[in-house]
Amino acid sequence: MSKKRNSRRKPGRQRSGTWFRALLGPLLKLALVLLVLAAAGLVYLDAQIRDKFEGKRWALPAKVYARPLELYPGQALSSDDFRLELKGLGYRNVTQVSRPGSARWSGNRVELITRGFTFPDGAEPSRRMTLAFANGRLQAIRDERGRALSLVRMEPILIGGIYPQDNEDRDLIRLEDAPPMLPAALIAVEDRNYYSHHGISLKGIARAMWVNIRAGSFVQGGSTLTQQLIKNFYLTADRTLARKLLEMPMAVLLDLHYSKDEILEAYLNEVYLGQSGARAIHGFGMGSQYYFGRPVGELSLAQVALLAGLVKGPSYYDPRRHPERALERRNLVLRLLRDQGRIDEAQYQRATAEPLGVVEKRGLQKGAYPAYLDLVKRQLREEYREEDLSSEGLRVFTALDPLVQARAERAQSETLKQLENRYRQKAGELESSMVVTDPQTGEILAVIGGRDTRYQGFNRALDALRPIGSLVKPAIYLAALEQGYTLASQIEDEAFELKLPNGDVWAPDNFDHQSHGIIPLHHSLSRSYNQSTARLGLDVGLEHVIDMLRRLGIERDLKPYPSLLLGAQALSPLEVAGMYQTLAANGFRMPLRAIRAVTDAEGHELSRYPFQLRQQVEPALVHLIQYAMQEVAREGTARYAYSVLPQNLNIAGKTGTSNGQRDSWFAGFAGNRLAVVWVGRDDNASLPFTGSGGALRVWTDFMRREQPEPFYATRPEGVEYVWIDEATGLRSDERCEGSQQLPFIVGTAPQRSVDCGQWRRSGTPLDWFRSWFQ
Amino acid sequence: MKRIALTLGTLLLAGCVGPNPYVTPVEDRSGQRGPTPPPGSVQPAEPAPGVSVQPVDEVPVFRPQRADTDTTGSAVTPAPVEPQSAPRNAAVVALLDGAQQDTAGGDLRAAQNRLERALRIAPRDPQVYYQLADVQRRMGQFLQAEQVALKGINVASGQPQQLRRLWSLVALIRSDAGDSAGARAAQQEASRY
Repeated sequence: MSKKRNSRRKPGRQRSGTWFRALLGPLLKLALVLLVLAAAGLVYLDAQIRDKFEGKRWALPAKVYARPLELYPGQALSSDDFRLELKGLGYRNVTQVSRPGSARWSGNRVELITRGFTFPDGAEPSRRMTLAFANGRLQAIRDERGRALSLVRMEPILIGGIYPQDNEDRDLIRLEDAPPMLPAALIAVEDRNYYSHHGISLKGIARAMWVNIRAGSFVQGGSTLTQQLIKNFYLTADRTLARKLLEMPMAVLLDLHYSKDEILEAYLNEVYLGQSGARAIHGFGMGSQYYFGRPVGELSLAQVALLAGLVKGPSYYDPRRHPERALERRNLVLRLLRDQGRIDEAQYQRATAEPLGVVEKRGLQKGAYPAYLDLVKRQLREEYREEDLSSEGLRVFTALDPLVQARAERAQSETLKQLENRYRQKAGELESSMVVTDPQTGEILAVIGGRDTRYQGFNRALDALRPIGSLVKPAIYLAALEQGYTLASQIEDEAFELKLPNGDVWAPDNFDHQSHGIIPLHHSLSRSYNQSTARLGLDVGLEHVIDMLRRLGIERDLKPYPSLLLGAQALSPLEVAGMYQTLAANGFRMPLRAIRAVTDAEGHELSRYPFQLRQQVEPALVHLIQYAMQEVAREGTARYAYSVLPQNLNIAGKTGTSNGQRDSWFAGFAGNRLAVVWVGRDDNASLPFTGSGGALRVWTDFMRREQPEPFYATRPEGVEYVWIDEATGLRSDERCEGSQQLPFIVGTAPQRSVDCGQWRRSGTPLDWFRSWFQ
Repeated sequence: MKRIALTLGTLLLAGCVGPNPYVTPVEDRSGQRGPTPPPGSVQPAEPAPGVSVQPVDEVPVFRPQRADTDTTGSAVTPAPVEPQSAPRNAAVVALLDGAQQDTAGGDLRAAQNRLERALRIAPRDPQVYYQLADVQRRMGQFLQAEQVALKGINVASGQPQQLRRLWSLVALIRSDAGDSAGARAAQQEASRY
């Protein structure tokens, strides 16, 4: 039986018509039908009522949570970050902290009471504590008695759900979770005699009639809360007489079988309270989140009154669209509560003076992360059936870090604006996507699917396949190192032509249309020369390059065309992130994880996605390539980064620009953040900038905001650093000009050395030379 | 005295035999002072008139010495600095202790959860990998256990005591998995530290 959910949306005249019909209709007919029903259908009806009320009442959407913020002294967390986190959690800023979900800020200190949360691995209790921040770090956590706490987990932000076909979204609450004023307000405004009638209230009907006649229009409905529940819960949406006639006996039966509190609790969860696009907001649990961004138990009296008032017509009284109607309605509920003695005059005065307090829709966390949720859903669908996801109330714990996501979004939107300002119409309508991970754990922290970060549609981070250009190069050089090349190997950057089997001629060109002669291998990578890279790749062998790409994490089928060497292969930003993750993690490949665990509605773990890794490339070899990728940022194509970032922030990465300059890429990492940025256009037009002119700028601005830990390249076993003469690739010395320290696999460094007199004990060579003749 | 004179004489002779290594840089500098065309290997490409008797790769390459050896200010990519192992923070200590108790109490999943939390906070602490690998070993997930321990070894480079423990753990994991040859090899590694 499908449920009706729109009945409460239309206040006013139509209902008065039906009620008059019901009341003025031939009594005989009514009695007759009732009799027939009572005799023949009562048993059936009764069974139905009980079946539904005792079974699974609602399809419960899966709830998807962000990572819980772990708090510990010394952590890199600014007070601004924490304010943002509390905002996402819907904490109220107050002057006196008294309830969970409230916080009092004074300078760099905040006193708050957390809500507590039951995690899959145990409960985190609600606590009152004080946090002190300084210099972008959390300095201390103290409980109410002043004792230092070493680790506290905040409750996670609810970021979305997976909804059933009818798009009903609800968050079940128990009667005792609701503030006591909520049922009181509901009863006051909708059904005064709720606790004394038997499902239907003749007194109520009579009074409603009387009031309506006196007012000359429809003012009050005579339907009890029980009837309203029956209507929404059991009956179809069509306004037929049969339905109308079923309603009353069913209400009586329901009242007979279940306690007033049980019925009220069901009502609290069933009632329709608003519409967010296709998503229908049901129940006060979800209603509270939707309008106020916090759990229902934390609502103020005025907020409770507003929600109770909304029941009559969520669209007519929509506080976002019609605040004045909503305010009037809220104050009416408050007045009724006062008149019925449920609140005193002072409470009434205070509550009516309060603003509506509804949060902006854009401020809500739900709907804020469509690209990340898209990824989560795809991973879930590999293991769960759609109907289980949308009906079983599963809880999905993800690794999304809302703070990182916020910084990524800011970096992207502001940089793109700058690019468009600089290049004007040549830039056109830029699009961009981004994936941020933690290279140490393989967790995906943020995903941006396009410029409009709230857009539910095309997810470029996952679905836009674009040629990766030079982002492919680290794989080629890594394959070369594995084949015995060293960073100091001298390779040739000269034009050449390759006849392809189909008769085409392949003649790679450099970005500056120049050849650079004999150059050391690491220069070729950090300056991103194409001719030398293509020669190197052909020498190493396409099959070895493809094998390396596979080991680094590319699962797509790769064709052994020479153009692969210059990045003709199209990949998504997420795939690129997977590949660079392995490079950042010293050759250990980790599957990128968005989901940490899934539990059922009761919190029992259904599946978990533990930390997993597999060594794919010798860490010593990866260390060498990481060195060259740091050089990219220090002196190569990504030098721009250090015009913004501090010198002591060690980073590594690679720029990428596709053929015809249609795609601008940068993939790179610091110690605890890896980010892949793509900038381009949906119509695939040429861009007025390269990888370093576009994507690198977004990346750099993100890292500037993020202030990550520097990348530490600890020297693995089997690697030695040797001074090398840059021009010749020969061994050199710290004291010789033109030398640079490069890492080598032990035993592979060149034996021959340049000579600048470094074997002499002291003095300059000139002194020494002179000494012979004195 | 005689011996000194002899040595000196030999040295002087030696200086006359080959191209004197310490003369050339001076000439080199005075000859072409331009910084860009790098000397060195390019020189053989312009051989002196006459027959070059030496193979190209054996021509010595000379460089001037640096005026100052301080290169830190330059844009050159620095060699890695070994991060000093900072004292473990109290949060990680609490998680590691809790995981130890979970493990002792047989609740390996709880231990695993705690260690993953620790990993997110301190991903460069070898002890986290040690305990996580050990928990996975106890769970019978030998493949993963070994990989986690290997990552721990990667993280622990330069810390002999940690390296010894981690290699011993790899040996234990391998022997639990029935790979006795692998276990012996790992034990051998452990004994190097």
